[in-house]
Amino acid sequence: MEVAKGRTVSADPRLTGGASGRDAERGAPGGHGPRGPGWIPTWPATVGLVITLIGSVGFAVSFIDDASTQWLGGFLAAALLGIGLALAYWGRDLAGDEVITGPYPVPHEDAEGRAALGDALDQTVQVITRRHFLTKMLVFAGGVFVLSQVVLLGALGPRPKNSLRTTSWRAGSRLVTFDGVPVTRDTLAAGTFLVAFPEGHTDSADSQITLLRIGADPQFKTLAGRETWSPEGYVAYSRVCTHAGCPVAQYEDQAKVLVCPCHQSTFDLMNGAQPVAGPAGRALPQLPLAIDAQGRLTAQSDFTVPIGPGFWDEG
Amino acid sequence: MSEHRLKKSLGRAFGVAPSPARRAARWLDRNLGGSSILREELRHIFPDSWAFFLGEIALYCFIVLVVTGIFLALFFHASQAVVVYHGSYHPLAGVPMSDAYSSVLDLSWNVRAGLLVRQVHHWAALVFVAALIIHLMRMFFTGAYRRPRRINWLIGLSLLLLVGFNGLMGYSLPDDLLSGTGLRIAFSITESIPFIGPTMASVLFGGDFPTTGIIARIYPVHIFLLPAAIAGLLGAHLGLLWLQRHTEFPGPGRDDRTMVGSPMVPQYALRTTGYFLLLAGVLTAFGALLQINPVWLYGPFRATDATTSAQPDWHMGWLEGAVRMFPGWDIQIGGFLLPAIFWPAVILPGLIFTPLFLWPWLDWMAMRDNQFVNVLQYPTMRPGRMAIGAGFFTFLTVLLVGGGDDVFANVFGWSLPVLLRTLQILVIVLPPIVAALTYAIARRRSERWLVS
Repeated sequence: MEVAKGRTVSADPRLTGGASGRDAERGAPGGHGPRGPGWIPTWPATVGLVITLIGSVGFAVSFIDDASTQWLGGFLAAALLGIGLALAYWGRDLAGDEVITGPYPVPHEDAEGRAALGDALDQTVQVITRRHFLTKMLVFAGGVFVLSQVVLLGALGPRPKNSLRTTSWRAGSRLVTFDGVPVTRDTLAAGTFLVAFPEGHTDSADSQITLLRIGADPQFKTLAGRETWSPEGYVAYSRVCTHAGCPVAQYEDQAKVLVCPCHQSTFDLMNGAQPVAGPAGRALPQLPLAIDAQGRLTAQSDFTVPIGPGFWDEG
Repeated sequence: MSEHRLKKSLGRAFGVAPSPARRAARWLDRNLGGSSILREELRHIFPDSWAFFLGEIALYCFIVLVVTGIFLALFFHASQAVVVYHGSYHPLAGVPMSDAYSSVLDLSWNVRAGLLVRQVHHWAALVFVAALIIHLMRMFFTGAYRRPRRINWLIGLSLLLLVGFNGLMGYSLPDDLLSGTGLRIAFSITESIPFIGPTMASVLFGGDFPTTGIIARIYPVHIFLLPAAIAGLLGAHLGLLWLQRHTEFPGPGRDDRTMVGSPMVPQYALRTTGYFLLLAGVLTAFGALLQINPVWLYGPFRATDATTSAQPDWHMGWLEGAVRMFPGWDIQIGGFLLPAIFWPAVILPGLIFTPLFLWPWLDWMAMRDNQFVNVLQYPTMRPGRMAIGAGFFTFLTVLLVGGGDDVFANVFGWSLPVLLRTLQILVIVLPPIVAALTYAIARRRSERWLVS
């Protein structure tokens, strides 16, 4: 009882813009009677809250019932949208469109305070800088202290030594597939390719290569100094893109190019894997191959240049 | 009998006891004081315009992200220890994968409401950045960055950077194929920085890519460090907004010293609470009905796998486009190499954000106008600014299209190299054309402003 009475007493026309919630419920923001000129319907808010009731119950039931994401989320969305609609409508239409006017605060006009603050700071600075030697020492010691903390970065990662320049390929490393199956001279027919790794290092991302059998394709250009690198028409290129390091995974049989799926850098397999389209600036490094006495494919050595994306001291 | 108790008894006897609200006010005054200030603040004025809702969308997205993020954190494992998957998603049964990826699969398939919450989280992040960018555009084109709101412009821009970066961190956490590919590219970009690049990449990632500790390293950054920084800056942003009051559009009775609008209580508070719930409802509906980032389809990250048509989240698209469109101009200097990716991925973002940060001061220098203002300008009132803004956003839009060039080429059956070359030309030619056209149109309109 007390609450109901209290509400009537507390209706403050200044706080509610001359139209208390109860007035608005009766549809009279301007003091008009029901369905008078200013009458605003309350049903949209009611509908919203009913939707929230249904949505809330539906959400709980579908959760307990382990229903699909669509039902669960649909009910939850309905519950949120319903009450959101009701409150937005309430604030926009039912609470009365009270418009009030007031001054903007005007900062920076406190000239006296500004002068006093300036004086105070000035004095503080003087107290410190009066000691010339100490001031210099403070700046120096403080600077050295801050710089000394940089060593902490060393805990986060090693300084790169040779890891960016070398891979797991060594002279005589035998080629295997991702599943560890050895690659022999009979593994590929001309015009086909596979992805290979050095034996024992199939988890080495740096060492992945695209192994392609060119066969006796007359279009294939053997570059100077690489005459012995492609025995029996086998040729191998690093599979790490020289642009941003993605695996150059797409092989286009017609154009005889490798395309990187990340940024579409395109490398010409017939001409030393030179970039012919897209954003890469350097060729895919070629791995010198050999075929051993058992007919297995091996590497003559590691790559002769760093593989993958460029870095500052690579050149 | 004390006066207080006498009044209370009389109040009871005559049925005029204090209402709960009055009792709450009394409790507040006794325990905290400052009732008259609070009374004033209830009447805090909020000028009305649909355009002022954009920043609120961003704020409410942040709230949704925190709530959904806490739920997700309860189930996510920030570990790259290898496990063999035996969960409910059968196509991946028996596949070795990181604990992190496996926990995201469990969260999506086995935790009730898990997929819903994950998808709402992702949608909220995407809408968050969109709202921030549109909010920034509104600020820019209406001159809201002018004195005394320059500092708040800086805070807002910093928020955009932090939020965008945290989006990238979130994209990286599930350790699916796309997140690993994104990290691989981030590593390569870091490596390209002159002098410090390789060391910096190693320090950030804990060694040469791929490292086994990167998820554990990103996790606290994504769920604590950046959210705390974002919350702090949001607090400062809103605190300044509260102290300085909101700007208003020109109108009768409004000037730089007088504001007109709704009182905070009850109209504005009811409305904005309603809008918050409506936004939460829309994001929930997105999460329920629109699939986003189905990580189970991509598979776990392996450094030897790659996928076509891979896309970053939309707000990284301009950067992706720049990286795709910039020619492969690797430069050899003496014994050193400056990789081409350095220019689009490191220099370009700097070129884009530096003038944005300096803009309020550039504007001041150009206009020689250091007035203290509270009334906004309509965009066409300043044709020069409108032209610069239109050219700037055209440039970013062409880059964004470039980020999906392979997808567009596939969908429309265009030749990718031709499309790429077209975009490379457009990104240079189109911004000045759009700027000139905008200037001409805005100029004609601005004459109308001068008349009125």
